[in-house]
Amino acid sequence: MSDTAERVKKVVAETLKIDASMINDGSKFVEDLGAESIQSVELVAAFEEEFDIEMDEQGALGVKDVGTAVAFIEKHL
Amino acid sequence: MSSGKQYTALSDSQIEQLKSQGCRAEDWSCVSVAKRLDVSRVINTRFEGTIRIGDLSGTVTSASGLIRPCGIEDATLISCTLGDSVRVVNIGSHIANYDIGDGVCIEDVGIIQTNPGALFGHGTEVEVLNEGGGREVSLFTRMSSQFAHLLCMHRYRPKLIEQLEAIADDQVQRAKSDIGKIAAGVRIAGVPRIIDVNINESAIIWGASALVNGTVLSTADAPTLIGDGVQAHDFIVGEATNITQGAIVAKSYIGQGCQVGKQFSAEGSLFFANCEAFHGEACSIFAGPYTVTHHKSTLLIAGLYSFYNAGSGTNQSNHMYKLGPVHEGKLERGCKTGSFSYMMWPCRVGPFSVVLGKHTRTFDLSDFPFSHIEAAHDGRCMVVPGLNLSTVGTVRDGAKWPTRDRREGCVLRDRISFDVFSPMVVGRMINGHDRLKELMEKTEKSVDTVTISGAQVKRVLLRGGVKYYRSGIHTYLLEKVIARIEGALDRGDGLAGAMAVAPDAVYSERWVDIGGQMMPADRLTGLYQAVESGQIADVDAIESALDAIHSNYSEDEWAWVRQAYKKVFEVDLDQIKADEAVAIADKLLADQSKFLKLILIDASKEFDDVTQVGFGQDGEEADRVEDFRAVRGTYDNNKFIKQMNQAIDDLNNRIEKLRQALAVCA
Repeated sequence: MSDTAERVKKVVAETLKIDASMINDGSKFVEDLGAESIQSVELVAAFEEEFDIEMDEQGALGVKDVGTAVAFIEKHL
Repeated sequence: MSSGKQYTALSDSQIEQLKSQGCRAEDWSCVSVAKRLDVSRVINTRFEGTIRIGDLSGTVTSASGLIRPCGIEDATLISCTLGDSVRVVNIGSHIANYDIGDGVCIEDVGIIQTNPGALFGHGTEVEVLNEGGGREVSLFTRMSSQFAHLLCMHRYRPKLIEQLEAIADDQVQRAKSDIGKIAAGVRIAGVPRIIDVNINESAIIWGASALVNGTVLSTADAPTLIGDGVQAHDFIVGEATNITQGAIVAKSYIGQGCQVGKQFSAEGSLFFANCEAFHGEACSIFAGPYTVTHHKSTLLIAGLYSFYNAGSGTNQSNHMYKLGPVHEGKLERGCKTGSFSYMMWPCRVGPFSVVLGKHTRTFDLSDFPFSHIEAAHDGRCMVVPGLNLSTVGTVRDGAKWPTRDRREGCVLRDRISFDVFSPMVVGRMINGHDRLKELMEKTEKSVDTVTISGAQVKRVLLRGGVKYYRSGIHTYLLEKVIARIEGALDRGDGLAGAMAVAPDAVYSERWVDIGGQMMPADRLTGLYQAVESGQIADVDAIESALDAIHSNYSEDEWAWVRQAYKKVFEVDLDQIKADEAVAIADKLLADQSKFLKLILIDASKEFDDVTQVGFGQDGEEADRVEDFRAVRGTYDNNKFIKQMNQAIDDLNNRIEKLRQALAVCA
């Protein structure tokens, strides 16, 4: 697993207050991890802070699962 | 009305005919009639006091819509004047002390009576925002939402209040009369009791239970309906309004274009233009224009609202302490409260925010418009500042309000500023932006949440809030500048002309929202001074002054935009060149397109898999998708999505056109 993926999962676990072991690349934020609408905004903010990047909001809010989030963030690094 | 008509004494033969038709009079010499009266149309009627009767010719339309012959049957009339073509039948007790206009139809009523010195709802002291008093608004028919707002909310200016109360009292005294009015074309049926009520032209009063001490404003082009089971005491109702289905109205004002029904109860409350209230309850509220509450178990109390939508089960409390209620709530324009939301006053919510959950803490988020405000499990307020800036709801609301103005056919009393983005709201966004930015820079990363004005914000969301507000501020300012340039180029003026400020424009950094009318704070100060000095001393003068302020909105707004632009972008628009204007247009295109695309993303959530949960009942997986398509349609075919996509195309075309026009200027 890449360093980015590890950090993404850490952020997801902290933000959604779930066990990191429950998170895998295919996990969908809403259906599988129980994220509420507002938490998607919080996730974007947390990713930006963790990776010190400014994400394109249009694209970021369209990301539905962990694997896609990792790929999306890596594009911004 | 009937006052200008000629009436003559009854002849002996007419009296004899009336007697033969079952009519009686206390004194026949007190009964006078129109020359063309068809006496055969007056049957089984008793006359007391001075009576004048019009010609009773032809037909009228009844409350139920049937064409019925004019005449008087089975009635007791006491000191009444009737116009021409009137139908009055089946009056259980009597009609006393009324001037009844032409074409009126009154059927099956118990009692209609005016008592000496009646005020017809005028002077009713409505205890707005605090049912214990302190902010009373005295009703009169020409009251606008702006007048009521000043009288109710600006108690910190005692001289102003004294003068406004004098203006209101003058109107109250003018309304005082021993004779009530039922104006031309009014239709009344099936009402047990109407006491001290003036009813204006073409109103329909059908099946109401009781109307006591009130005025029903109405015109032929904007008729008002008071329907089944309505009980109204101490009230004034505006034109083009419907109050129906068992609504209860007590000590309240229901303005123009309102709809109240389905057993809604309003007490001590003011409702202004285009409000809608069903099922629930209002107590001591100031419902500014477009306040809407549609559902049961909804209690709005001691609050100030406008452009507000109360979700089902919305509840608020203002605390009845030993010395009486003290707390007030302010939901500024455009707010929504979600299902079963509860707010323990005092709280103040910034414009266009959404409130969810049970809030038991005090907060003031007036500097944070478009926020998502949610209660934590312990009642603390958690806020996501600016989140609703790019949501579908905000855009749709902004578009729908102007199209839903039901006040056609009457003089509009409430002035309404419809703009979602305005100096008032964007000014707050600038404040919010600055406060969030400062907090963001000061707060250590180890901190999870920070507190702002009683509400909590997750630290990581501060940056998002700054971004949302920055984007909204930029888009508004750029749009205003570009629109100004476009206007000037269309008129053949140059860029310098485009940036000029009208000589009578007023700049204030702070804007205020006075009962739905936004204005620079200095305009309000000028109004204060004119009223307090006695320069404005009657209702005509104050309404004219408010009209003048309203008509200056665009130029005042431009004066504000120029200053804000300078502050935000550090650019003096007076010095702008064509190539800089092109750069502004390009930035608008980029920012506005991004904004519209975020709205599209928000709209797309309504078509995602989660939204489709529950569709395709009893079917397979594929049936879920098909069922959803059949019911909700597809993303691409959705009307709103098409509009947003069209807006992006239009923006591109608009900016391209402007580039070409500016190329000529360069």
